Amino acid sequence: MLVACVLLSLVALVLPAPLRTSIAGGLRGTVVVPLAELQERAEVSRRAVLLYDASLRVADSVRLQASQAEVVAAENDRLRRLLGLGAALKWGFVPAEALHGRGLGDDYTMTLAVGRNEGVEPFSAVVAPEGLVGMIEAVDARSSVAIVWPHPDFRVSAMSADGTAFGIVYPHLGPGATRFLLELRGVAFRNELRPGTLIVSAGLGGVYPKGIPVGTVISELRTAEAWARNYLLRPAVRPADATTVLVVQPRRSKEGVSSAWQTAVDSALSQVVAAGDSLAKRHADSLATVERLRLDSLQALQPRVDSTGMPVKPPVAAPVRPPVGAPAKTPAGSPAKPPAGAAVKPPVAPRATP
Amino acid sequence: MNAARGLWFALVFLALVVLHYTLRPVLDWRASIDFLAIAVLLVAVRARPGVATVVGFTVGIISDSMTPGAFGAGALAFSVVAYAASSLKAAFFADNIALNAVFVFLGKWVGDLVFLAAEHRLGGSEFLAQALLWSPLAAAVTAVVGLAVLVLVRPVVGTPRG
Repeated sequence: MLVACVLLSLVALVLPAPLRTSIAGGLRGTVVVPLAELQERAEVSRRAVLLYDASLRVADSVRLQASQAEVVAAENDRLRRLLGLGAALKWGFVPAEALHGRGLGDDYTMTLAVGRNEGVEPFSAVVAPEGLVGMIEAVDARSSVAIVWPHPDFRVSAMSADGTAFGIVYPHLGPGATRFLLELRGVAFRNELRPGTLIVSAGLGGVYPKGIPVGTVISELRTAEAWARNYLLRPAVRPADATTVLVVQPRRSKEGVSSAWQTAVDSALSQVVAAGDSLAKRHADSLATVERLRLDSLQALQPRVDSTGMPVKPPVAAPVRPPVGAPAKTPAGSPAKPPAGAAVKPPVAPRATP
Repeated sequence: MNAARGLWFALVFLALVVLHYTLRPVLDWRASIDFLAIAVLLVAVRARPGVATVVGFTVGIISDSMTPGAFGAGALAFSVVAYAASSLKAAFFADNIALNAVFVFLGKWVGDLVFLAAEHRLGGSEFLAQALLWSPLAAAVTAVVGLAVLVLVRPVVGTPRG
């Protein structure tokens, strides 16, 4: 038996290559099919295991780039709006980088990378494109410290955007996350504000100029005071997001800055209107396109050549003027003339018979 | 060998063949485990030399069908190893674990040497490196795994015939 098997093996070894290949292929296509499939699946699994780490790294880097892109886009948008605000203010402001600490008390103050040398003065308003951030408290030669609205000492006289209700805005000293909201206190009882109402600085007190957005009304706060209303506000600015701010100098504050935010609002409104116009135009274009396609398809359905092979002329709406003072009569046997403006039906050619 | 043990033996043999075509490609070691050699040796120590040779030849030719370039070399190697193992089992398969490991090691290494000599693919230093470095390493790994298999399956398939 050994001799036979060895001989067969040697014969297999010395067979011509095509014959060996065909025999091996025959085996692979019959008895070895399950084993070949097992091996293929095992190798695919191994490749998948090896590729998993690489694909994970690629996915991680793509995710990282995507998140960075979002951050960069948001920063660009913010800087663009800051440029718009600067352009609206025109003069009397100092752009500043806000340095955020991560220590205790840093939620209440903000260090700015500009100081006396750049023209920053104490009690200057610190603003962002979204609205009021705080007030300069201390000024050094090259830096300054501002209190931001969560600071317990922060106060600003405020009013509703339409000027009907006035009050004083305080930081809301509530528990938990509500600590980072604002309160509008002392609103006259007759002035009821709806949620979403914009509250802006009133310009009273001489620190904050009139018209800077402070926040929007969330709800009314129930208090024991029977002669005034208090409201909870959502701040216009999150100090942690304010990386670049503008310090409005006092002489600029005296001139008034409300037009700057009004310009910004108008700009936003114009953008919304432009977007709406664009949508309407696109809608009209699409309707026109649909109508044109419909007409084209109807035209394509009309017979261009009749059964005799003669091209059919398109109908012509020729105005027929009846004789003046005479009724429009037609001689018997002659085709009636159509009224003015009506389409004339072309004469139908006799159908050719084979 | 009764029917139950025969069935268990067939299952173990099949499992080794399946492992050869599933676990071995996944591991993809340079000195890889040869589950087919273990399966052939398991059969060889329990069968007569003629039957062992036919099993070795069959396993070898199936193995060769995956590598048509060396078609016949595996069949020759497994035939020789199976015949030799079946003939020498009385000398090796005592109740000595170390001897069993040496048996598997030698079976795998000799099989590799026959395979390398028959296929005529490698020459010179490559042949020497394969024959004297990688084949012994693969034989050692196979011996370790083969020993574990022998120890595991002995209760269900019984001891080799004397």
